Amino acid sequence: MSESALSRVNLFDSRADHASVAVESPLAYSWQRSGAPAPSAASRVVLREQTFLGHLILRGGAIVLDEALREVLDIGLPGRPNTLSWDVSGERSIQWLSPDEWLLIVPGGEAFAVERRLRERLADASFAIVDVSGGQTLLTLEGEAVPELLMKSVVYDVDPSHFPVGKGVNTVFAKATVIVRRSGETRWELVVRRSFADYCYRWLLDAGEEYAIGVER
Amino acid sequence: MQRYSGFGLVKHALSHHEHWERQWRNPTPKKQYDVIIVGGGGHGLATAYYLAKEHGITNVAVVEKGWLGGGNTARNTTIVRSNYLWDEAAALYEHSMKLWEGLSQDINYNVMFSQRGVLNLGHTLQDMRDIQRRVNANRLNGIDSEVLDADGVQKIVPILDCSKRARYPVMGASWQPRAGVARHDAVAWGYARAADALGVDLLQNTEVTGFKIRDGQVYGVHTNRGDIEAKTIGCVTAGNSGVLAKMAGFRLPLESHPLQALVSEPLKPILDTVVMSNHVHGYISQSDKGDLVIGAGIDGYNGYGQRGSFPTVEHTLQAIVEMFPIFSRVRMNRQWGGIVDTCPDACPILSKTPVKGLFFNCGWGTGGFKATPGSGHVFAASLAKGEMHPIAAPFSIDRFHSGALVDEHGAAGVAH
Amino acid sequence: MFQIYCPYCEELREEEEFHPKGQAHIVRPANPEACSDEEWGDYLFFRDNPRGIHHELWVHAVGCRKFFNVTRHTVSYAILETYKIGEQPSVTAEPAVSESTTSTDDVRQGVRA
Ligand SMILES: Cc1cc2nc3c(=O)[nH]c(=O)nc-3n(C[C@H](O)[C@H](O)[C@H](O)COP(=O)(O)OP(=O)(O)OC[C@H]3O[C@@H](n4cnc5c(N)ncnc54)[C@H](O)[C@@H]3O)c2cc1C
Ligand SMILES: [Zn+2]
Repeated sequence: MSESALSRVNLFDSRADHASVAVESPLAYSWQRSGAPAPSAASRVVLREQTFLGHLILRGGAIVLDEALREVLDIGLPGRPNTLSWDVSGERSIQWLSPDEWLLIVPGGEAFAVERRLRERLADASFAIVDVSGGQTLLTLEGEAVPELLMKSVVYDVDPSHFPVGKGVNTVFAKATVIVRRSGETRWELVVRRSFADYCYRWLLDAGEEYAIGVER
Repeated sequence: MQRYSGFGLVKHALSHHEHWERQWRNPTPKKQYDVIIVGGGGHGLATAYYLAKEHGITNVAVVEKGWLGGGNTARNTTIVRSNYLWDEAAALYEHSMKLWEGLSQDINYNVMFSQRGVLNLGHTLQDMRDIQRRVNANRLNGIDSEVLDADGVQKIVPILDCSKRARYPVMGASWQPRAGVARHDAVAWGYARAADALGVDLLQNTEVTGFKIRDGQVYGVHTNRGDIEAKTIGCVTAGNSGVLAKMAGFRLPLESHPLQALVSEPLKPILDTVVMSNHVHGYISQSDKGDLVIGAGIDGYNGYGQRGSFPTVEHTLQAIVEMFPIFSRVRMNRQWGGIVDTCPDACPILSKTPVKGLFFNCGWGTGGFKATPGSGHVFAASLAKGEMHPIAAPFSIDRFHSGALVDEHGAAGVAH
Repeated sequence: MFQIYCPYCEELREEEEFHPKGQAHIVRPANPEACSDEEWGDYLFFRDNPRGIHHELWVHAVGCRKFFNVTRHTVSYAILETYKIGEQPSVTAEPAVSESTTSTDDVRQGVRA
């Protein structure tokens, strides 16, 4: 069934692990250049990069995408704006980005297979899937001072009363843009584009200094 | 008119400056004039002055809804230059520049025109190519204009960050030595006083609320102080031109946007020229009072509110601090906005309209202060003759249907 | 400073996330080749620019990146409504005051610029 649709796209595994090329996260440069203060007991924010995850942009109608996603990954598509949901393991997430666009994040190495299976399942439906794993990275921020740190950085209202767990928005971060998501009581995530990564990282270190921000590697 | 002079100043000092005569009369509107100018900003007042002085038409009223020069004339950052790209625009702005050079003497009013030079910085190779092209075009038009490299810029402005460390390193600039700044209020007041002395009635607090039109010919205006008649009417109302055009029954290719500016607390002399950057997007000069005068871009939405938005001020100040790290701790004193009438090709409209006898002078957008004398001069000639002056002719509304646009977005770049 | 309700994100968001894109509901001529210079010039360059109620296009540039419409007052800057592309405004201007104050003996023949 899927041959026709599949044959129209040039599907390939974009992960370089197999080849002899060294993979570098968008923050590789920053680790060397900007340093990474170790977390201490005083740290009220701890930053960590979740390297080499699979990031897929799904576009299409909510109903077909929802069915495909349930079948392939057993997660329902979040239908409400600015929300995201996880699978039971908590390792895979799907986030509403716009009325016809979602961000699917899966463990490293899975993206290629997931994309293939989704394409097979979606077949001739009207949809698009783009693997953007190389273009962005996910940072987690953990600690009770994270909202304060974000308040200095983004224009969106991140007061915990306005930003419950499971919320996620695309917004202005300093002079760049990021996706901000809340994945736990004291755990937040930033999806940062590769070209902004060093800028955002250094901004976070600077803004986080007063909370003794630490970087776990 | 009492002439102003050094001796006069000494004489009045003896009586504690209590006996200066009023600069202009406050006349009651007559029923009829030969010409009505709607809008008492710099351009309207200059038009009235040149009508009286050069064409002997003195039965003229300037109808202003607020106070003289209270529009963009009193809100602008006073940059005067003529280094525009295209022949049509260069001719207009250079005509103006020549008038600036003798203006204080002509109207016997010190407009504090200071030819301290203007730098338009280039930060990319493309900027520099554009600058070279524009400078070459300027020279062909007899306008003083030079290309400087980064060292040349640094010599003129030692406090500008010309290092390679800058986020957008300065690669060079265009430099017009005859360009500079003037005192905006003085320009409005000087023209007002000189026009009044020649018999022009300046009617303040008089708002035009409609036009009297019969058989496609205008013959007067409705105002909040009654009707006033004239068969020739020049509309010089900047950001409100669209509203006036609508009253007369046609549309203009204009959008009215808020444009803001701000000034710092006064400082000792630190910047003796004008620095503008399209790319980093800000411009700055220092007034004779010592305040840094700063501006940049319009707010993107239409607005008649004479106030600007915070993101725009923030963006402007970031650009200034980027170029001048030394100013990072200067405190800002005041911030305000004007309503600028932006035109699709960043050039003005000096034109007849579908209504006979009704002329418009508008569309100066973010950069018409520099044109005040030239605009008034050619517009007066057009009103007097009933035909557009040759320098004004290319700026007819027809160009938006014929396609003969004069695209000055490059030279007009950072709104100024 | 605006707070704008994005009809797609279904919440108020800060001005910095948006870009204004000018007058809304401008219809592109179906057959540009068949347009007169007047019609084409009007389409490209001539805008309403009212002092009062204005329907305009905005894009939620740093949010959902969707275009939508805003009805806004250009003097008070009050945002009266936002609505999706394809929808019509529910708040519209009264006939402009200026028109009613123009003399009744006006003849608007050939009045188009
Ligand atoms: C912040 C800012 C910075 C600027 N910086 C520069 C610069 O550095 N260099 C430069 O060259 N230009 C600059 N400009 C642009 C410049 O100020 C204008 O192009 C120029 O002053 C326009 O002059 P004007 O006489 O046409 O308009 P205005 O001075 O605005 O005069 C128009 C007058 O019409 C009156 N009016 C409106 N409607 C009616 C009505 N219905 N009845 C009666 N009267 C009416 C208004 O009250 C107003 O006084 C700047 C503008 C702004 C806002
Ligand atoms: Zn949105």
